[in-house]
Amino acid sequence: MEPAETTAGQAARGANAGPTSPLLELAGISKRFPGVRALEGVSLEIRAGEVHIVVGENGAGKSTLMKILYGAHHADEGTIRFQDRPVTIASPADARRLGIAVIFQEFSLVPFLSAAENIFLGREFRGPIPGTVDRRRAIREARTLLRSLGFDLDPTIPVHRLGVAEQQLVEIAKALSQKARILVMDEPTAALSERECAHLFRIVRRLRDEGVAIVYITHRLMEVMVLGDRITVLRDGRKVAELTPKETTPDDLVRLMVGRPVKAAFERRARFQPGEVALEIRNLRAPSGLEDINLTVHAREIVGLAGLVGAGRTELARAIFGADPISAGEVRVFGRPAEETPSECVRQGIALIPEKRKEEGLALIRSVQDNLLMSALWRLFPRGWLRPRTAEAAARDMVDRLRVATPSLARPVRVLSGGTQQKVVVGKWLSAGCRLFLFDEPTRGIDVGAKAEIFRLIEDLAERGAAVLLISSEFSEIVQVADRTYVMYDGRITGHLTAAELSEEALLRLAVSHE
Amino acid sequence: MAGRLAAAPGVLFVMFLLVVLFAVLRPVFLSLPNLIDIGLQSAILLIIAIPQTMIILSEGIDISSGAVLSLCGVVLAMVLVAGGPVHLAFLAALATAVGFGAFNGALICLVGMPAFVVTLGSLGMAEGIAEILTDGNVVVGLPNGFEAFYSAKPLGVPVPILIAALVYLVAHVILYHTRFGTYVFAIGGNREALMLSGVPARWYHIGIYALGGGFIAIASLLLTARMNSGHPTVAIGMEFDAIAAVALGGTSFERGQGWLLGTLLGVLAIGILRNGLDLLMVPSSLQGVSVGILVIVTMLIDRRGARVS
Repeated sequence: MEPAETTAGQAARGANAGPTSPLLELAGISKRFPGVRALEGVSLEIRAGEVHIVVGENGAGKSTLMKILYGAHHADEGTIRFQDRPVTIASPADARRLGIAVIFQEFSLVPFLSAAENIFLGREFRGPIPGTVDRRRAIREARTLLRSLGFDLDPTIPVHRLGVAEQQLVEIAKALSQKARILVMDEPTAALSERECAHLFRIVRRLRDEGVAIVYITHRLMEVMVLGDRITVLRDGRKVAELTPKETTPDDLVRLMVGRPVKAAFERRARFQPGEVALEIRNLRAPSGLEDINLTVHAREIVGLAGLVGAGRTELARAIFGADPISAGEVRVFGRPAEETPSECVRQGIALIPEKRKEEGLALIRSVQDNLLMSALWRLFPRGWLRPRTAEAAARDMVDRLRVATPSLARPVRVLSGGTQQKVVVGKWLSAGCRLFLFDEPTRGIDVGAKAEIFRLIEDLAERGAAVLLISSEFSEIVQVADRTYVMYDGRITGHLTAAELSEEALLRLAVSHE
Repeated sequence: MAGRLAAAPGVLFVMFLLVVLFAVLRPVFLSLPNLIDIGLQSAILLIIAIPQTMIILSEGIDISSGAVLSLCGVVLAMVLVAGGPVHLAFLAALATAVGFGAFNGALICLVGMPAFVVTLGSLGMAEGIAEILTDGNVVVGLPNGFEAFYSAKPLGVPVPILIAALVYLVAHVILYHTRFGTYVFAIGGNREALMLSGVPARWYHIGIYALGGGFIAIASLLLTARMNSGHPTVAIGMEFDAIAAVALGGTSFERGQGWLLGTLLGVLAIGILRNGLDLLMVPSSLQGVSVGILVIVTMLIDRRGARVS
């Protein structure tokens, strides 16, 4: 049925795989979409017992390459050889037959099926009567599999009730149950906390040592250096380098990915004196799990809110914004008690820029102008009648102020880059008169070049007098941008760092302080 | 125990309230003949609410099932009146219903049209074809044995209830013990995931609609026997009760969340309501209103837990 695990025992161990021939070899792969050259002559050698990391900015061609590997896209040119035999991968079923399993970035789980059913989806154990499935056996095998990964997870629980990290485990178990010889992982740590990442790394290393070939797609340089045996760098659909971690440095990799030198750290702006108190929280408690929160943000100040995923940072932002109820304590905004609903909070000057900007922050098919003015209509046109010229002038003003890169106000925001979309979201709140900005992971899913642009935007906001609370899981980002930082753990604030004390190590220590 | 009660589906609460209400107002409500009546009235609805459940689980909807059911009844009756044997008549009805199901499924799954629009089109077509075939008249003159089949009581259980129970059991096995059933949940939950697992998801997706046709054909057999005639518009509107029953049972219209037992409860709740209102001599126009209110009240009860979590 499935290919046997022949390579497991024989495979070369560890990082120095030696001169074995590659398990899977992609040569000269090109792929074009209308108007886009997604891949251009890319070659990739995948060896048993090796973690091959593919890095690149968004749009570099990583996802397209992966889709060709599992048969969702077909290369226009190039060849694929499996154990020196030419093969075609025309469908996911073909890929599976070759022992290629993929763990997707967006989880490919079915929410209301159990973990066991998800793990064996498409490969159900046959029951005694034709067409029926053996559910007990699936549950038994799933439990064994999860235990072998070091987890005692009940496989009968529907996966929608599991946390992100547990879902990730189900994904891995699903891939492993296929006796995969080649495991492709697409940004597997995107939703994991640092501790969960560490566990994932252990599993990846163990699989590698058992002889599995691993293709690991990421843009986090730390993972590249820690985990990689071989690194392929993609840029604009081309392979620009293949190296080992020993031959390179993170700075070199960034240079290769971006193709132009970038400043190692974003220069800190000269600080203004902080202004009035914009946000003051006293002894806040909320049903969403927040306990005893005390926090102050001044105008002209960028205050970081660090912590691991699930520490309660998003919940805090939502409580401030009136999106979730609070059960005790006080929130004051610009000296007055905060309102209780989002719409009142907006009028009070609070803006929440959510993590899922496409889903919660923008109307994607609408124009730049419509999006910019969405929250400002009540202010521009208090009587309800629209005046096109006033609207256009207001939108034009905002585009100039934020340097939004759009050829016209009528362009739908869907076609703009991630960084530009983020500017539109900010512009939307600026035109509504907001002065306190809560950013929730503003650079998630945004490539290196656009990140710098967003940092500039945040600094620009602060310089113009706004107060900023910046939630981020990437500690380097907070170190670069924030004036001072609070650290959260398990719904509480466990630390406060001034600019002088701020470092990635200090943040990490506080973020896992109660372990 | 309080926790278990709080987690119970809203449809159980409303069923309980309705039973108490009708039993107090009309004691005859709880008599055995009346309970059997409720079963008889619910049998056909259950048989078409089952495929509706599968379709809604797969994030679709079928608003054509009432019209297709009427058409199947007409086809069945015409073949019988023309002297054809029962199995041939049933095959003709089956071909009609499966044909419509596959047509709906193909447009939805292969062309990517919205289920509501596709089945709205089928509703019109099925209704029109039934009118053309019959000239708007009722098809009468069925062989004698046919009606007897409907009122037979092997082991004291009326045939329609027996068939409905059998159909329910088969559907339960299909949904919970076969690969096909797992894929029904998976298509609604995350069809992409199913495809990436190497399953030809779109064919299974079409299969859901085609299989639904099989159920409708069985329903048409009972319907025609009950009326002892083929009526071109008799079941139009029954899709409303079927969708209402699925919703009552707590099956969500998104993400493949739901259960078959809920649909059975939903069908019974509607049966109880309509029967009770009949006993109270409430005109049928008001009954439609009551079913609508029943659905909304049950939804409100079901939401109480959702808000907390």
